[in-house]
Amino acid sequence: MIRILYISNHMLFWYYLVSNLAYLTMLIIAINTSARHQRRLGSHRLSWIKETPLTPPIAVIAPAHNEEGSICVAVRNLLDLDYPQLELIVVNDGSEDCTLAVMQKEFHLRPVRAIYVPEMKSAPVRGLYRSDVDARLLVVDKEAGGSKADAVNAGLNAVTSPYVCIVDSDSVLERDALLRIMIPILENPKRVIAVGGIIRVLNGSEIKDGQLQRVRLPRKSIEVIQVIEYLRAFLIGREAWAQGNMLMIISGAFGVFRSDHVRSVGGYRSRAIGEDFDLVARLHRHMREKGVDYEIQFVPDPMCWTEVPSDLKSLGRQRARWQKGLLDVLWPSRNMLFRVRYGRIGWFALPYLWLFELLAPVVEITGLVTIILAACLGALSGTFFSQFLIFGYAFATVISIGAVLQEEITYKRYNDWQDVVRLLGYCFLEHFPYRQMHMLWRLQGMWEYLRGDHAWKPAKRKGLAAARAH
Amino acid sequence: MASIFDKIWKLGPAAFVMKAIVAAFVTNALLLAFILFRRTYRKRYFARRDKRVFELRRNWDALISGEIPYTDWRNKTFDLQIVEEMALDALEASAPEESARLLKFLRNSGLIEKRVCEARQFTGWRRIRALVALGCTRAPEGISALAEGLRDGDIEVRLAALRGLGRMASPQAAEEILAWVAEIGLSVPALPLQNALIQCTAERPQMLLPYIQYAESPLREVLGRVLGEVATPALGLDLLQFAGDEIDELRAAAARGMSHTKIELALDVLTELAHDPIWFVRLRAIVSLGKLLDPRTIPTLLSGLTDANRLVRFRAAEGLVEFKIEMASIFAAVIATRDRYGLHAYLTALENADMRGNLEEELQASAKINENEKDRLRSVLLTGTLPVEDAAITSDVSEHAAALR
Repeated sequence: MIRILYISNHMLFWYYLVSNLAYLTMLIIAINTSARHQRRLGSHRLSWIKETPLTPPIAVIAPAHNEEGSICVAVRNLLDLDYPQLELIVVNDGSEDCTLAVMQKEFHLRPVRAIYVPEMKSAPVRGLYRSDVDARLLVVDKEAGGSKADAVNAGLNAVTSPYVCIVDSDSVLERDALLRIMIPILENPKRVIAVGGIIRVLNGSEIKDGQLQRVRLPRKSIEVIQVIEYLRAFLIGREAWAQGNMLMIISGAFGVFRSDHVRSVGGYRSRAIGEDFDLVARLHRHMREKGVDYEIQFVPDPMCWTEVPSDLKSLGRQRARWQKGLLDVLWPSRNMLFRVRYGRIGWFALPYLWLFELLAPVVEITGLVTIILAACLGALSGTFFSQFLIFGYAFATVISIGAVLQEEITYKRYNDWQDVVRLLGYCFLEHFPYRQMHMLWRLQGMWEYLRGDHAWKPAKRKGLAAARAH
Repeated sequence: MASIFDKIWKLGPAAFVMKAIVAAFVTNALLLAFILFRRTYRKRYFARRDKRVFELRRNWDALISGEIPYTDWRNKTFDLQIVEEMALDALEASAPEESARLLKFLRNSGLIEKRVCEARQFTGWRRIRALVALGCTRAPEGISALAEGLRDGDIEVRLAALRGLGRMASPQAAEEILAWVAEIGLSVPALPLQNALIQCTAERPQMLLPYIQYAESPLREVLGRVLGEVATPALGLDLLQFAGDEIDELRAAAARGMSHTKIELALDVLTELAHDPIWFVRLRAIVSLGKLLDPRTIPTLLSGLTDANRLVRFRAAEGLVEFKIEMASIFAAVIATRDRYGLHAYLTALENADMRGNLEEELQASAKINENEKDRLRSVLLTGTLPVEDAAITSDVSEHAAALR
């Protein structure tokens, strides 16, 4: 028994060490990349991108389900995006409220027979509408498909543009977000097939008419901790993975894809729990199997602001769903592991996700139990135990502060001193007991998935209408 | 000598953890100190800068006209940066008269000369900054320094120089870019190059022709795409030589450019290109045919409506809807194609252009079409589905379609 505990603790030590070193490496890569990106932007002028006739058209797909309170503001914001050739496709996904009616009234929708080629599976479409106020707006009214993926597929069937941008209708995009996210595509249109943008936490910020007026840090601790998590995930993780062309996830709230490639993989998988992750994984597989030279990029400055859960229950549900989504994608992709054909995706990205994302809650919880057990049985010195905890704490804090530093030296959206001090303070506070709770939620997600609960459950949000009250 | 792994292994977790804890805490402290120090420094810097900008803005006219001697601010780096930035921002948004005044100021104050000098002497990011500033000035004397930047080993510098030259939007800048690509080949991504060339060759597109003739793929395709964008009616005959080119991009460019030429010249070429095996060549040909607005293009547009590619179908439909006359006959011809995707594309284009009502009125008023057929056409318009195959009706409809062909 003692021997087993000893081996387990030793393995846990190395697991932590490798995981932290991986994050540290990512932090260094990310800081270097951001600095280069900022300098590169110096020779760009967004207005030039806007003026060139070579800027390709984009269709923005915004699925909406029961969003009568905020849909008009959201549509107006999306139509106001700064981009020369834009088409907005709003998919009314079987709303039971007056989502369609309010749009009809506000945008003078008239029924049309627009091009709709049902190449991708989705629930039946009831009608298509085009706005008389702004011809760029097309509304697809469909029966509820039970998932965001189903709604996006319906939108994809109506797309005629070579690029498609998927957004959440309750998120706020900065006006020049599309121009910025298109920069990698414009630089290399043949190679870049998808680009992800950064998602930031909207809670606490001041919103007027759906437009972000002033960025502030949320008041609740649980929301501030999520701000740090998002900074860490996007400004460190995704930035670094994208450098090696191993980006495995483009957030469903804001990403641009080449429509022909999305079509060739059959669009979103309707039953996928993490539909955004699933799509990118299938795109990697498709391109690698075809032997095509491609790139999936990440741009850290086109910002999309989204609302995050503000209570433990919703957050727990969201994280359990994310974990289920992870397992739901990694399991079908297991045959990509360690195969030459899938290159760095099979050798690095997927093994990392298996080891340090999917199995992290299992390893951490088991590790905590074995460490405590070993300490009780005298197989572990109390000093070493406390030193180990302090080491984990200090190292994790370095990564979190590193993420805040990234935000500070590059995008600097939090201008208030008070906000920055609070943000830095939470870098020290987030580890207990939030991290442990997070692990339990993720473990719960895995358990639910293994028990056969594969249903897609949307997160409940207050939406833009409520956010205006801030 | 033991490897680093052996050393770590021998050190054991306990010793390692202690060292790691110290290192992590020191890193945390340094990071915190850096963030807080940087914030404080920037806060002070921007406060000082805002104050200075305000002062300079109040004296802006005197500054521009030279009433305030240039030496007053030119020797202070802080002021120099602010003045240059303000002048370039103003230049970006100014009308021609104001532009001339600002350019004169930039010249007289020696700012352009300074940037030219920096663009030639510096390397890396400092050179990029100088090139970007030169591009923003749009001053012809910057062209040669920008052209030198094109030959830099660093791609970011080359891109900055290319964008700067594009900003000049002059044939002289185009000459430099074309000479460079002819010499070096394609050493930057295609899009910035195309973009710069489109801006610079718009005035004299014929300057592209000799380069396209002698360039090799992939540069030839890139230049072809530019030609397609900037082609004018005067280039009609020159474009003909590319209609049969083996490079798809060049055929597409010819198709795109032909929409600007005389109909007699364009019709046959575009009709042929509308049946090209490459979809985007067909697409460009169909779009150009649609722009010609000549009834002789209708048969080709109708065949484009049954194309395998959805974009070609949609553009063909848009072209047909653009006619706005003979709508009933065109609609009958669309039905006669018996292609439901084509019909959908046509109805979409019709409804997008808000012309459905016009078609209904024309159907109502048409004397050429008998009542039975009118009912049939109205039914198709209403339901959006093709009628069941009916020999009599089909032949009736086909007559109208044949008349159009």
